[in-house]
Amino acid sequence: MGLGDLLIRAGVSRTAYYSLVRKSSILPKSVEALSAALEVPSVRLLEESDRLRRVRKILHMVDRIVAEHPGASREDVLHTLLLLDQKPIERLRRGLLRGRRTRLH
Amino acid sequence: MAEELVFTEQEAAFLRELVRNRVAFLIVGLASAALQGAPAVTQDVDLWFQNLSDPGIRKALDRVGAAYVPPIGGNPPMFAGGGVELFDIVLRMDGLDSFSREFSRAIEISLGRFKVKLLPLARIIASKKAANRSKDKLTIPMLENALLTLDAMKGPRPPRRKRS
Repeated sequence: MGLGDLLIRAGVSRTAYYSLVRKSSILPKSVEALSAALEVPSVRLLEESDRLRRVRKILHMVDRIVAEHPGASREDVLHTLLLLDQKPIERLRRGLLRGRRTRLH
Repeated sequence: MAEELVFTEQEAAFLRELVRNRVAFLIVGLASAALQGAPAVTQDVDLWFQNLSDPGIRKALDRVGAAYVPPIGGNPPMFAGGGVELFDIVLRMDGLDSFSREFSRAIEISLGRFKVKLLPLARIIASKKAANRSKDKLTIPMLENALLTLDAMKGPRPPRRKRS
């Protein structure tokens, strides 16, 4: 797909596109200021916020499930939700790794 | 490949050969629970076979240089050599239906380059309750918490249509 086709498909004008291209950063100035103060790349801040958003969503789910099932262990529910975010093979890897560690001690 | 991060080359090859030879088997126990998302800790992977005489098992064992050791004295059958000691043979599951029936209800998941069938979490809990061993009793609350979490994630089921 060429640039012209892409802009038409996205509904973005050439003027808007070249205006973006000319900017040194398209992130809000406040994000740039925070990243400069923290001495981390600004992209890291955005990645971090995605991760935090995901964790916050999971914690809300834990609250909802525990409210519906007062006898349930908050810890088990949280760990299950965190594992559901992983591929099955990764879930097994963690279970086996902990099992092997237990056997070593 | 993802499965290589968990299994050794021989272990992955053994499972892959079982699947390739169409051996009817299920991953059961805590390994199955872990694959489904339960925060279970385990030291081995239990395999429940429909028929231990299936020639496909021999082929898979030959492929990795392992052997089937029949029951000796009070010891259950096992696989030896070839680096497949991670896998335990399960002959009987307490509190469950026949292998065929459980197999028909199994969950299929991908382990990278091949797919395997798992005993669903609810059935693992049923078998552990029926076995009633002290080590099983310790894991049941955790498995039940994981099951209710999985059910909550599925959300309410849509109402069934009435037959006209």
